[in-house]
Amino acid sequence: MCARLRHAGLVGRLCAALNSRGDIALTNEKHLGSGVRRRIRVRHSLIAAVLVTTMSNSVATGSEDSGTSMLSFSGFGTLGVVHSSEDQADFTSSIFSPNGAGHTRSWSADVDSVVGAQIIANVTPRLSAMLQVISEQNYDGTYTPHVEWANIKYQFTSDLSVRIGRTVLPSFLYSDTRKIGYANPWVRPPVEAYSLVPIGTSDGVDASYDLHFGEFLSTLVVAYGHETSGTPAGSNNEARRLLVIADTIEHGPATVHVAYQQTYLTVNALGALFDAFRQFGPQGAALADQYGVNNRLIRFMGIGAMYNPGRWFVMGEWGVTNYESVLGKNSAWYASSGYRLGQFTPYLTFGGVRSDDSTSSPGLTVAALPPNLAQAAIGLNGALNSILSSSPDQKTISEGVRWDFVKNVDLKLQCNHIQLGAGSPGTLINLQPGFKPGSIVNLFSAAIDFVF
Amino acid sequence: MTPAKSVPLLTVGLVLLMASSTATADVVAVVSSRSTITMLTTNQLADIFLGRTNRFPNGEPAVPIDQAEGSVARDRFYGRVAGKSAAQMKAYWSKIIFTGRGQPPRAVANSEEAKETLVQNLNAVGYIEQNLVDASVRVLLTP
Repeated sequence: MCARLRHAGLVGRLCAALNSRGDIALTNEKHLGSGVRRRIRVRHSLIAAVLVTTMSNSVATGSEDSGTSMLSFSGFGTLGVVHSSEDQADFTSSIFSPNGAGHTRSWSADVDSVVGAQIIANVTPRLSAMLQVISEQNYDGTYTPHVEWANIKYQFTSDLSVRIGRTVLPSFLYSDTRKIGYANPWVRPPVEAYSLVPIGTSDGVDASYDLHFGEFLSTLVVAYGHETSGTPAGSNNEARRLLVIADTIEHGPATVHVAYQQTYLTVNALGALFDAFRQFGPQGAALADQYGVNNRLIRFMGIGAMYNPGRWFVMGEWGVTNYESVLGKNSAWYASSGYRLGQFTPYLTFGGVRSDDSTSSPGLTVAALPPNLAQAAIGLNGALNSILSSSPDQKTISEGVRWDFVKNVDLKLQCNHIQLGAGSPGTLINLQPGFKPGSIVNLFSAAIDFVF
Repeated sequence: MTPAKSVPLLTVGLVLLMASSTATADVVAVVSSRSTITMLTTNQLADIFLGRTNRFPNGEPAVPIDQAEGSVARDRFYGRVAGKSAAQMKAYWSKIIFTGRGQPPRAVANSEEAKETLVQNLNAVGYIEQNLVDASVRVLLTP
C-alpha cells in the first residue's frame, strides 16, 4: 500500500496543477491543512501542560513513597546505515520517510537511525504519566524531535488500566516497539508487513485489561482516537474514529497476537483528483465514490505467533489492509527464526506483500467526450491508473546477525534480497525514469542499537 | 617450569575453577520463612519476574526482588527460569518500558540484601545463592 499512498500524494499535486489552469474547480486544501495543524498544536500544548503538572507533583511527593522511583528516565537509539543495489529508487523503512537508500544516497543513514528519550512519572501507585520524544527522519526530511508517546495512565485495578493521550498502536507484535532497535531481533521489522498499516499513533484513550486463566495471560487492549500525519507529498492524512482491538495471549515462551483496526481515512492529497472526476457526470461521480479516499472506512486485521524459549525463537505474522478505494487491498506476511550462540544471534527472515485487488481501471469513457474534456479525462484516467499500478508486490529473504558485544549495546548486520513483483515497484519510493519494475534489489544494513 | 608442563596444569586449574563456580553459583527462589507461599512452578515464578502478573497463585500480592545487573546470581536465575541471557532480558524490558506498560523489578545489591528485603516484606519473592539459605527464608524451587 505504501507505494500507492506515496504515489497518490504526487498524483494529487499533479492534479492540483492541472486544476489551477482553470479547467476544473479545486478544493481549498491549504486552509483545511492549517486549521488542522492549529488544532493539533493546541492539543499538544494541553498534553504538555498536564504532563508537566503531573510530573512536578510527583517530584514534590517523591520522598514520601520509597517503594517505586517517582521519576524514571530512559532512552534508546539506533545508528544505522543501509546500502541498496538499486540506484533508480529509494528503500525506506517507514512510509512517512521522504527518501532513503538507493537513488538519494548510495549509503543512507536516514533509513534506520533514531534517538529517543523518555520520562515516566509515578505520581501515585495508580497514577502515572509518560512522555517519549524521538528524533528521526521526518516526512519533511528534517530531524525535528516529535512526541511519540504522551499519556496519563490510571491503574484502576491490578488488571485494568486506562490511558488518555497519545499511544502507539499495537497492530503487529512489534508495532509499538518498531523504533526500539535494541528490543527487536532484526535491524528493522520486516518492511512488507510493518508498512501495511499507515497509522502509527493515536491521540485518544486506550484501555488494557489482563485476564489470567491458569498460567495463560491474555492482555486485551481497546483504543479509540484519531491521528493526523504529514506526508512527504506536503499534504496530510487524517485518520478519524480510529478503533483498535488487540489481544495478546502469553503462556511461558509462547505468544499469540491478534488485532483488528478500523478508521475513517482521508488522504487530502487525493482530494483534488477525485473532485476532478466528479466534474464528469454520473460516471465520474461513480469512479470518485469507488476510488476516493475521503472519510473512507479502512480495515486492518492481523494475526501473529511467536515461540521464544530463549536459546532460539521462531515467529510469524500475517495481516491484511482493505482500503476499499484506489489504495487497494494488500496482504503481507513474514516468518523469522534465530538461534543464540553466546553473544551472537544469527537469524533468517522470509516476507512478502501482495495486492489482492485489481491494479488497473478503464476509468472515464473518453470517446463520448468533446475534445477539450477528452484531454482532461485521459489525464485523470492516467493518474488513477498510475496509483493503482503502484501496488506493492514483493518478496524478501533476509539473513542477519545480532551481536550483543557490550552491555546495553548491540551491533546488527543484515542482508535483504528483495524480488519485486512483475510490474510492481514493491515498497520502493522515488522511482526514477531508469527504474525497472520486477527486478531484484539487494540491501546491506549495519546498525548499532543502544538503550539506557 | 617449562611451557609444555604449564599448559595442562593451567587447564586443570581452569576446569576446577569452572566446576567450583558452577557449584557455588546455583540460585534458589526464596520467600520469607513467614510467607504463606510454599511452592511455585517455574512458569509461575517467570511470570512474576517478567511482570506478567503481580500476584501469587493464591491471590496474594507478589513483589519480585532482583539482584544487581551483571551479578552472577541474576544472570543464572534468568538463564534458568526464562532461558534468557542478560542482553535478552534487557531487550525484553525495553519492550515494556518504552511502551509505558511497566518497570522491571526493584534490584538489590546482593543475596544478603535480598534476604533482608524478604524478611521485611512478606509479599516479596527473590533468589539467592543456595549456600546462603538460612532459617529466615523458605526455598520455593531450585530452577
